[in-house]
Amino acid sequence: MPKNSFKTRLEIAKNKLSKRNLYKDQQPTSSIGTAFKMSTELVAHVVVGTIIGFILDKTFGTKPWLILIFFFVGVIAGIANVFKSAKNMQK
Amino acid sequence: MSSNLRKTCKNKLKKIMATNPMHQFEVYRIGPEIKIGEIDLSFTNASLFMVISSLAILVVFNLGSKKNSLLPSKIQLLAELSYTFVSKMISDTAGSKAKPYFAFIFSLFMFVLFCNMFGMIPYAFTVTSHIIVTFMLASFIFISVTIIGFIKHGVGYLKLFVPSGVPVILLPLIVVIEIISYLSRPISLSVRLFANMMAGHTMMKVFGGFVISLGIVGGWLPLSFSVALTGLEILVAFLQAYVFAILTCIYLNDALNLHH
Repeated sequence: MPKNSFKTRLEIAKNKLSKRNLYKDQQPTSSIGTAFKMSTELVAHVVVGTIIGFILDKTFGTKPWLILIFFFVGVIAGIANVFKSAKNMQK
Repeated sequence: MSSNLRKTCKNKLKKIMATNPMHQFEVYRIGPEIKIGEIDLSFTNASLFMVISSLAILVVFNLGSKKNSLLPSKIQLLAELSYTFVSKMISDTAGSKAKPYFAFIFSLFMFVLFCNMFGMIPYAFTVTSHIIVTFMLASFIFISVTIIGFIKHGVGYLKLFVPSGVPVILLPLIVVIEIISYLSRPISLSVRLFANMMAGHTMMKVFGGFVISLGIVGGWLPLSFSVALTGLEILVAFLQAYVFAILTCIYLNDALNLHH
């Protein structure tokens, strides 16, 4: 009988713990962390796109064109990434 | 006359150096110059603070795990709490498959945290406020995660760049975008930590300078502000170490459980 009661208590405690975990999964990082993450990622995408364009321009000798194209592709990638993270936050 | 002029110039320069908020980030050599070929390998103040923080980690965790008493002492509690904190973070974000990488993520988190926290001590040097340090850490993570992904999935790891359910016409653009997002990881990871630490420490120095220049009459406002900033900076120091570690976990999760 005492063993049983312990078991039921353990079950209840485990249930509570799993519920708490579920609640925590919805907000894995604090909002200030997410804000920093999104802003730096937006900038990093643009920078990486521009760098790729610059390198490709140098190798193919098509001076202004690829850097322009890849700059805008980087901007698109950055904005798409922000949309993706925003969607993940709303889940 | 000219020597007098030189003296005043020197004094002015000294004053500028004392109030220059960027002066705290200067790297200088300690001890003899060591050069191998073209590479300067001298021991600097940056390397000194890296050594100090690694030694502090070793001391804290050795003391904390020495006596495994049932009723933990403060230092044992600290070690156990940080262990459970990191292990929970890994299992929450990357799943059970990431358990073998616990040692790496734990030491990474502790190193960044201790470097940030040592930077909060007055006159101490903040190692993580230099982009080369954070970029080295981030590129190491990036390269090792890529290698792990290719080992676990082979060529199939390239599927990460091809999301499912995309029309064929848009596919070239999407692939380029995905590649850019993948390559931007080390940059965003390193710039985030570096920019936060550098901006915070510069701001603290600027407000400290205001206290001196406004004197005893008007200096109280910036003084109270810089007390508040110190609290904020301690929060940022912890938060950035946490974000650094959790993003490593997320990248590891992408490499281990491919779900595109």
